[in-house]
Amino acid sequence: MFRRNRERGHGPSAEALRLVKVGKVYRAGGQDAGKPGEAGDRESTVTALHDVTLSLPTGSFTAVMGPSGSGKSTLLQCAAGLERPDSGIVVVDGEEVTAGDEAQLAVFRRLRIGFVFQQYNLLPTLTVLENTTLPLRLARRRVNLPRAREILGQVGLGDRLGHLPDQLSGGQRQRVAIARALVTEPSVIFADEPTGALDLRSAREVLALLREAVSRHGRTVVMVTHDPVAASYADAVLFLADGRLAGSLAAPTVDAVAERLAHLGDEVYAAGRPEFRAGV
Amino acid sequence: MFLLAMRSLRQRPGRFAGTLLAAFLGAAITMTFNSLHDTAAAPGIDDASAETLNLSGGVVGGYGTLLVFFAIASTLTVTVRQREEEMELLRRTGATPRQLGRMVVGEAAVVALAATVLAILPAMLGGRVLLGMFHDSGQVARDVDYAFGPIALSAGFGVTLLASVGAAFLAVRRATRAGRRAPRTRLRALGGALALLGGAAGVSTTFALDATDPILMAPAAEGAILLSIGLAAFSPALLRALLACLGRPFAALAGPSGYLAVLNLRRNAARLAGILMPLVLFTGIATATLCMQAVESDAIEASGLTKSVEDKNMETLNLIVVGIIVVFACVMLINSLYAATAYRVREFGRQRLTGATPRQVIGMVGAEATLLTVTGVLLGTAAGLAGLVPFTLVRADEALPGQAPWIWLGIVAVAVAATVVTAVATARRGLRVPAVAAVAVAA
Repeated sequence: MFRRNRERGHGPSAEALRLVKVGKVYRAGGQDAGKPGEAGDRESTVTALHDVTLSLPTGSFTAVMGPSGSGKSTLLQCAAGLERPDSGIVVVDGEEVTAGDEAQLAVFRRLRIGFVFQQYNLLPTLTVLENTTLPLRLARRRVNLPRAREILGQVGLGDRLGHLPDQLSGGQRQRVAIARALVTEPSVIFADEPTGALDLRSAREVLALLREAVSRHGRTVVMVTHDPVAASYADAVLFLADGRLAGSLAAPTVDAVAERLAHLGDEVYAAGRPEFRAGV
Repeated sequence: MFLLAMRSLRQRPGRFAGTLLAAFLGAAITMTFNSLHDTAAAPGIDDASAETLNLSGGVVGGYGTLLVFFAIASTLTVTVRQREEEMELLRRTGATPRQLGRMVVGEAAVVALAATVLAILPAMLGGRVLLGMFHDSGQVARDVDYAFGPIALSAGFGVTLLASVGAAFLAVRRATRAGRRAPRTRLRALGGALALLGGAAGVSTTFALDATDPILMAPAAEGAILLSIGLAAFSPALLRALLACLGRPFAALAGPSGYLAVLNLRRNAARLAGILMPLVLFTGIATATLCMQAVESDAIEASGLTKSVEDKNMETLNLIVVGIIVVFACVMLINSLYAATAYRVREFGRQRLTGATPRQVIGMVGAEATLLTVTGVLLGTAAGLAGLVPFTLVRADEALPGQAPWIWLGIVAVAVAATVVTAVATARRGLRVPAVAAVAVAA
C-alpha cells in the first residue's frame, strides 16, 4: 500500500540538507543587520544564528530543540529558503538555496521543500483535495488525482476530500497539511511546531504520519519543536542554544531529551560562551 | 473613552483616510449645493434665477444625505472590522460595549468635523463654478453674486456629522454584538425583488407617455436606478451562475492564478455583494442617465427648437445627480475592494508558503477583479439598457442612440480601472510583508 517513490526529476543525493556557517542577525527594529560578528557588542541587535554548520542525510527524521529564542525557528526558515541568511550557505539536495529573489525562491521551494506549520496554513476557500494538489497546480505540473487521493487516504482523510478546512478538526487540518507536503515529493519536509496547536491524541497521529513520511515515503523531515515527546519520534535531536548548536542526541527517548533540555543552560555556561547572559 | 478615541486617531491617521475622504466628498457636495440657497436668499434676486438656484440646491437634499450616510457607513464598517483585535483587547481589559461604542462614535465625529472644515474652501470654489455655469447658460442673471453662508455651513456640518455618527453607531453595534450573523440574504432578496418590480413598472410606464411629455425621462431613469438596485441585490447569485458556466474555461486559460480566482469567487460569492453592488449601480445608473441625456439633447436639436431654461435646468440636474451617484459609487467600490483585499494579507501569505510566486498572487487578484467587473458591468448594462431602450423608442423612434456605445465604453473603462487598479495595487502592498510574517499577523 505504501511505496517509496523515487521518480524525481533530479538524482537524489545522499545528503538532503547541508548548512555551512549560517549566520543571521536581527536588529531590534526587525530589519536585518550587517555583520553577525559585531552583534554581541550592541544591545540593539540579536544574533539569532551564529555560524551553524550541519548535514542531514536523505531519509532522516531530525528534531531541532532549544529554549524560546534559541534560534530554532530562524534556523528552519533559513534552511527552507523563507529567510535569507546574512552569511553562510544552505544546500538542499545538492543545490544551493541562498541566491535569488522571492519569486525564484518560491519556484525552488514549491518543488523541493514541503511545509507543515503549527497553524496549518491551509487555504480556507479550497477543499481538502484542492489544498493538497495546489502546489502541483501552482508549479503547472500534471495533477495526479489518484495519487493525491491515495495520499489523503493514507493520512486518514479518504472520506473528507470535498470538505473545506473550516469543517475539519485541528488534527485533520494538520493531516491535510502533511498530505500537501507529501504530494510534490520534496527533498525536505520542514515542520514548525506541527503539534503545537493539537490535543495529545491528534498530536500523536500527526507525529506518526511524519514518521511514516520518512520510513515509508523515504522523505527527509526536519521538525522544530519544544515538546520532548514530539522529539522522541525523530531519529536524532539537535539542540540549539543562543543561536549555536549545543549538542545532539541519537535515538532519543522522551526522558533523555527532557534531561538534556533541562541542562542546556549549564552546558552553554560551562563552555564559557561570551554571549551567555543570565535569564536568556 | 474620548481620550482613547483622540489617541487612536493620532496614532493611526491612515486608517481613517477612507472615512475622511467619504466625509470630505459628502461635505463638499452638500455645501456646494446648499450655498446656492445662500446665493438665492440674497436680496434683490429675480424669481427665475432664484428658482433655478433653489431647484439645483435642493437636488442633493434628501438622497444626498443618504448617499453620504452609505459611503461613510461602508468605510466605517471596514475600519471597525480591521480593528476587531484591538476591540477584543479593550473588551478583555474591561471596556463595556457602550464604552467601545462611544470610542468609535467619538472618532467618527472628529473625523467628520475635520472633513467638513477641510471641505469649506473646495465647496466655495465648487459653488462659484456652478454659478458660473448658470451664468453662462443664461439660467441665472449675470448680476447675481455668489454667497456662502449659514445654510451651506449648517447643512454641511449637520449632514456630515449626522451621517458619520449614525453610521458609526450602526457599525459598532454590528461589531460588538455577540456572534456573527449570516448576511441577511432573505431581507436582501425581498428588497431586490421589490426594486425589480418597481423598476419594471417604471420602465413600462414610459410606453404610456407621449414623446414630448416633459416627464418622459423620469420614469425611465428611475426605473433604471431601481432595476440596478434589484440586480445588485441578486448579483452574488448571478456571479455564481456565471462562474458555473465560465469558471472552467477561464481557469484553463488563466492558469493557476485563474484557478484560484474562480474557486475564491465561487466560495465567497455572498461576501462579494459589497463590491458588486456599487459596480452594478455605477454602470447601470451612469449608462441610463448619460445616454438618455444624449438622446434628449439630440431630439431637441432635431426638432429645430432651442433649449428652454427648463430643458437646460433638467440637463444640468441630470448630470449633477449622475455625477454625485457615480462619485459615491466609485468611492464605495474602491473602499470595499481595498478593505477586502487588505484583509487578505494572511491568505496571500499562505498561498506564498504553498509555493505561489508574488506574480501568481497578483495574477489571481487581477483575475478576480476582472471576473467581478465583467459580472457587475453585465448586470449594470442590462439595467441601464432596460431603462434606456424604452425611452429612446418613445422619444426618438429608434432602439439605441448612436453615441451609446461610446458613452458605455467610457463608463466601462472607469469601472475596470477602479476595480482592477485598486485590487492589484492593494495586493502588491500586501505582498511586501514577508510570507512568514504575513501568516503570523492576525490581519
